Amino acid sequence: MTTDRLGSAVAATRHQKDWFAQTTERARSGEPIALVNADAPHEILRALDIPYVVTQWWSSIIAAKQAGPAAMERLVARGLPDFSLQYDAMPLGEQDLPAEQRPWGGLPAPDFAIAERSGDVTQKIFEQWGERPGTETFLLSRTGADPVPARWWELVPRDWETAFGTDRLDLLQAELEELVAWLEERTGRRFDTGRLAEIMALGNEQAEWNRRTRDLIATARPTPVMVNDTMPAVMVPQWHRGTQWAVDAARSLYEDVAARVEAGHAVCTGERRRLMWIGRGLWTDLAMYRRFHDEFGAVFVWSMYLAIAADGYPRYGDDPMRALAARFVGFTDQLYVPPWSSDWYVKEALGHGVDGVVHLVADDTPGPGFITEALEAAGIPVLEIRANNSDARSVRAARIPERIAEFLSARVPERS
Amino acid sequence: MSASVPGPAAPRTATPRVGVIGADVPRQLVLAAGATPVRIFGSWSQPYSSEAAELLGAVDAVAARILDEVLSGAHDDLAGLVVCNDSAADLRIFYVLRILSERGRVPFPVHLLDAPRDGGAPRDRFVGRQYDRLVAFCESLTGERIDAAGLRLAARRERELGRALTALRARRRARECSGAAALHAYVAAATLPPEHAMAIVDDAASADARDGEPVFVTGSAHPEASVYRVIEAAGLVVVGEDHDTADAAWIGDAVDTGDRDEAVGRLAQRHAARPPLAARSRTRERAAELERRLAETDASGVLALVRELDDGPVWDLPGQRAVAERRGLPIASRARIAPEAALVEAEEVASALAGELAAAGQVTR
Repeated sequence: MTTDRLGSAVAATRHQKDWFAQTTERARSGEPIALVNADAPHEILRALDIPYVVTQWWSSIIAAKQAGPAAMERLVARGLPDFSLQYDAMPLGEQDLPAEQRPWGGLPAPDFAIAERSGDVTQKIFEQWGERPGTETFLLSRTGADPVPARWWELVPRDWETAFGTDRLDLLQAELEELVAWLEERTGRRFDTGRLAEIMALGNEQAEWNRRTRDLIATARPTPVMVNDTMPAVMVPQWHRGTQWAVDAARSLYEDVAARVEAGHAVCTGERRRLMWIGRGLWTDLAMYRRFHDEFGAVFVWSMYLAIAADGYPRYGDDPMRALAARFVGFTDQLYVPPWSSDWYVKEALGHGVDGVVHLVADDTPGPGFITEALEAAGIPVLEIRANNSDARSVRAARIPERIAEFLSARVPERS
Repeated sequence: MSASVPGPAAPRTATPRVGVIGADVPRQLVLAAGATPVRIFGSWSQPYSSEAAELLGAVDAVAARILDEVLSGAHDDLAGLVVCNDSAADLRIFYVLRILSERGRVPFPVHLLDAPRDGGAPRDRFVGRQYDRLVAFCESLTGERIDAAGLRLAARRERELGRALTALRARRRARECSGAAALHAYVAAATLPPEHAMAIVDDAASADARDGEPVFVTGSAHPEASVYRVIEAAGLVVVGEDHDTADAAWIGDAVDTGDRDEAVGRLAQRHAARPPLAARSRTRERAAELERRLAETDASGVLALVRELDDGPVWDLPGQRAVAERRGLPIASRARIAPEAALVEAEEVASALAGELAAAGQVTR
């Protein structure tokens, strides 16, 4: 067994830290920056050359630096809840931490806070950003997942009108145009549709590399890479989607994985159980993902980050704004709304030959039982754990390592 | 009416009944299609099944109780069910029922009504298209086509009910009707044909409404009156609220036109102008609405009760607290009220508020 980090993961992490330092420097010198939700259309900001920080990524850093509880306490001090959608709320509390407690020097106050109205709370959190000096909020509608055609992953790259419905797309496209006008007015910059087309093409190219990597890992035996390596190696470039750097990083990940497969590299010697991790990354305890190698020969071979990067992002079409709307109009549907989510997880589980699934169920996951039901019906045992991935208090209370060990012993037999 | 809510029995008529989960349905269109909209409420305190909890995931217990009602067959007489995307909980109910409907667990079709609230041309257009789909759904259930006469008749019926509710709100402000009695009337209005509901709304009155100190209720919606009764037993009387099962319900509103497309378009615009509800509105809008309603109702205090996993209202509390304090009013709140603790916690918070008002020398009883 080895714990050698993947070169592309190390490079991505280093790049992101450098990029953050440069971005915060630009912000402190007066350039506008934005804070955005993961499912907001970042491509518009890129086309307008507005640097942006993704809430969930920044939360993962705050959590990994063990600053999450202190950040949540700052929310309580303002009368806001520390128990509600922590993954989105944590950066708000980080703003009020003492300088010495702020990860990487802290996030400068953004000029723009942009999100789609998922659930009941995201809009409230982003509204709070807009109440802070120097920040304005823009909210996009989040329509319900209706219709739900089968095998969405085959439809969404080109036949998005069938996948999502024209009405939903019309609404989001119109709101994207409103967002463009809103940003143009505030920055004095002009939006270039041709530039957006280039950004979309680069995003598609990046997704194609991710698909190749996902397919390679699915068929490789033994597993050549750790999921906690692919998470940063995929997600850091994801937040730079639409750049040549991100395409190169995705290709670099593929080449690293291919080299390991060629060399017969195993992250877990004596691999006897292949596991799937459904849900958000466990940022407060990334070492957990390799904790079961020695005793159980159990290795996590799948996380949503690479898989959704392969299936969820590509959109090919002549109208870049329509394609961008199609990229985001149902993004969370793909991951979280059954039967879209459950069908996809079964497809991925079978494709990766997993023996068991650990499903981290967040409060904002609808119908988790349908996912479990679908996987179990396909003959794959599932452990459901309810916890908030970025909140160390919630993770500790859920006894995640202990329960996974019990699950492996009781329900996931060794491969012969 | 909801099987769990004590109240007037629904008269059996030949008119198809269309179930409604959520608060966004433009009732005029349902009535014009020849159906009666029947809202399903759930309850504060009834137990709910492990199946409902498992199917929905972490969600407001009221949603689990609504799902239980539907799956238990309590509403099997419905011709169809419309579920609104007006909260994360209701949207989850739709996702679950869509799957279970395909499996034959519910005997009627289930339809999503998705109506963003922000107004403006793109959203009004989308909402209008959603109303077109709603009309088509209702017509498929009743076998009737909406026509000019039907639209105008529905407008008259709905407006009459609206006038009765306006009078009810005036009686509450005049302290002639308790909050519990008013909530009971609102349930009738949301579940019965307008003509039947009006009699109940008109009769809603309470001799003891003058005895309590007037308070305004915010926080989670109240699916039935059990918590209001506890609040009022503590020496308070609820003179108004901003949740969607009572004063902020979309009942009694209609547009005067015989043209279907015009009706759809104008109702979409009316939808955007409705009072802001916790799950789909900004805190700033909610605070402004509280300010307006406090002035209107002349309440002496504010009571905010928020159920566990109904997180939208929790984020509004700091803004609402600022409004109350600016007006010199006490505000008592409790968040994360557990499913089994609603009545106990409501009693605690209401008593504390009553005590605070008494200590301030404001209690007149």
